[in-house]
Amino acid sequence: MSTLMKRSILLSIWLVSIFLASLPVCGHAAENSFAKKTDFKDNRTIVIEFAGAVDEEWATSPANFKVNEKQNPDVLLPVEKVELSPDKKTVLIRFGEDIDLRAAHVVSMTPVSSEGKNMGPAILDVKKSYFGYLFSILIGAMLINNYVFTKYLGLCVFIGTSRKKDTAVGMGITFTIVMVVSAMISWFLYQYVLKPYRLDYLQVVVFIGLVSLTVQAVDTVLRKVNPALFKAFGVYLVLVIANCVIIAVPLTLASNEYNAFESFMLALGAGGGFLLALFLMSASRERLELANVPPTFRGLPIAFVATGLFALAFMGFSGMAIF
Amino acid sequence: MDPVLIKLALGGIAFLVCIGLLFGIGLALAAQKFAVEANPKVEEVLEVLAGAQ
Repeated sequence: MSTLMKRSILLSIWLVSIFLASLPVCGHAAENSFAKKTDFKDNRTIVIEFAGAVDEEWATSPANFKVNEKQNPDVLLPVEKVELSPDKKTVLIRFGEDIDLRAAHVVSMTPVSSEGKNMGPAILDVKKSYFGYLFSILIGAMLINNYVFTKYLGLCVFIGTSRKKDTAVGMGITFTIVMVVSAMISWFLYQYVLKPYRLDYLQVVVFIGLVSLTVQAVDTVLRKVNPALFKAFGVYLVLVIANCVIIAVPLTLASNEYNAFESFMLALGAGGGFLLALFLMSASRERLELANVPPTFRGLPIAFVATGLFALAFMGFSGMAIF
Repeated sequence: MDPVLIKLALGGIAFLVCIGLLFGIGLALAAQKFAVEANPKVEEVLEVLAGAQ
């Protein structure tokens, strides 16, 4: 038993490290080796760094640069002017209007001329750093679009298990595990089975099945591995099967066409947000036990009032943009 | 009816049957691996009790 646990822990560490190691590969890809780096400077400027000096008359003519958002190749963005830095290695493309920094952009250039030599045409991807993007998905799911406080999902478990702090934390961790596992499986099934075979009309049925599979597996394993925690969850572990937060995550990642890393981050953020919500709520409810609450409001009503106040506080995060 | 639609419907049924079987077998194996030995007397006593609730 313990060797099995050790082996599975080692395996998960391996998986996580492979996951982290493969992240930088998914960053920006320059399709011309002469162009070294691309980045946004501000709302109206894209910076391109070259490996060597480029010619001024090529670099400063806006007609040589075509920029579009990756998703709409037909809509060219208006390039106002192009500037060359004094060392001639950096080109600034300026636009007449604000561009959407969250979207990936593509810059296509006519053959780059460097000191009279032709370095070949280039098509470059410009996007925000991938780590920042993943982090913004995580924080977005955890705080800005917290599933409990801004989307009002999963309230039955939220109210039911937030009476005591340790149950709440245990429940939050179980939720996170179930969410991450089911989100990864459902991402795989959605991308490689449902979508290619045009079976996406079955997504709700399949996702419910996946969630109940994960819950049943957690139930079986937890009963053996940690009976005390299992007893503390009681009926709520089974309630996870029919919980809307757990179903909402696969549906969100399917409709947003997230890739594996993004879905992992979304599930982690949603689970972490739920854990945070449960912890905050249980802390305040333990405090409310001692408070002098009017008899009409004692118990559940005051818990709902407190939930509403938390939701108001979380509204402060709305509209925030990170990175 | 459009044969494409029939194909889609049949494909859906086949897919659901497949993942149902797969999940079922997986869960059965897990249940066997992580089996908890329960006291058989608990069941027997529960049988004898009235059990309206």
